[in-house]
Amino acid sequence: MTSVADTSVKKSVTVNATVERAFDVFTKGFDGWWPRSHHIGKSPMKEAIIESGVGGRCYTKQEDGTECDWGQVLEWDPPHRFVMAWQITHEWGYQPDLSKSSEVEIRFTAQPGGGTRVDLEHRHFERMGPEGDTMRVGVGGPGGWSGLMDMFKAHVEG
Amino acid sequence: MVIYQHAQQLDALGDPTRRAILERLLDGPQPVGELARGFTVTRPAISQHLRILKHAHLVIDRPDGNRRLYELNPAGVEALRAYFDRFWDHALASYKRAAEARAAKQPDQ
Repeated sequence: MTSVADTSVKKSVTVNATVERAFDVFTKGFDGWWPRSHHIGKSPMKEAIIESGVGGRCYTKQEDGTECDWGQVLEWDPPHRFVMAWQITHEWGYQPDLSKSSEVEIRFTAQPGGGTRVDLEHRHFERMGPEGDTMRVGVGGPGGWSGLMDMFKAHVEG
Repeated sequence: MVIYQHAQQLDALGDPTRRAILERLLDGPQPVGELARGFTVTRPAISQHLRILKHAHLVIDRPDGNRRLYELNPAGVEALRAYFDRFWDHALASYKRAAEARAAKQPDQ
């Protein structure tokens, strides 16, 4: 079996803030930075929320008054790390089954200079279904949609 | 026109029937007749949806005897990972701005 690390997305960013602040902005302050385009609700997104603690809901509130779950907190170790299930199917619907969901781990590490390094790993795409195998085959190839976020960004900011 | 192609893919995924077709193709290649059986829309409508998906590089087709088999385009499925790769770049840039803006506003904490 191919290592799941082969298909995970890993990102790091260093922010000029303490570990505690970095963790708080990511979680309690989630609504303040989460891209408005990114939700799976039927109407525009009003608020994006990550609830504190294991089992905390990750969801959005929509303008039509509905709430739209997209994940839940699996591990919670403030201010150092947390893991959330990413309960979104490959076709952008809600996935109630955790065993078919990918997950995102975020780690916060103090830097000697005073900032915080934030390491994000989005992994276990293979759980999303039989297409996981296909996905592994394709890893390393050029992403067909590599400009998709620019497109979204243009939509949001335009 | 690279941007135009992305727009096509966004549009292609924006339709629930087309998303359902992609879902069905996860089970393996299927001819249009078999695909159409699970839907209330007509077979010509399914063919039209498949043309749009093919144009958006999300499915590919190949001849199989006197019919055509449709299947997921592996490059399109890899796009899922590529999508998140780009998505997190964008989201974390936004996060960094928020974390540092808040830090600047609360220098004593």
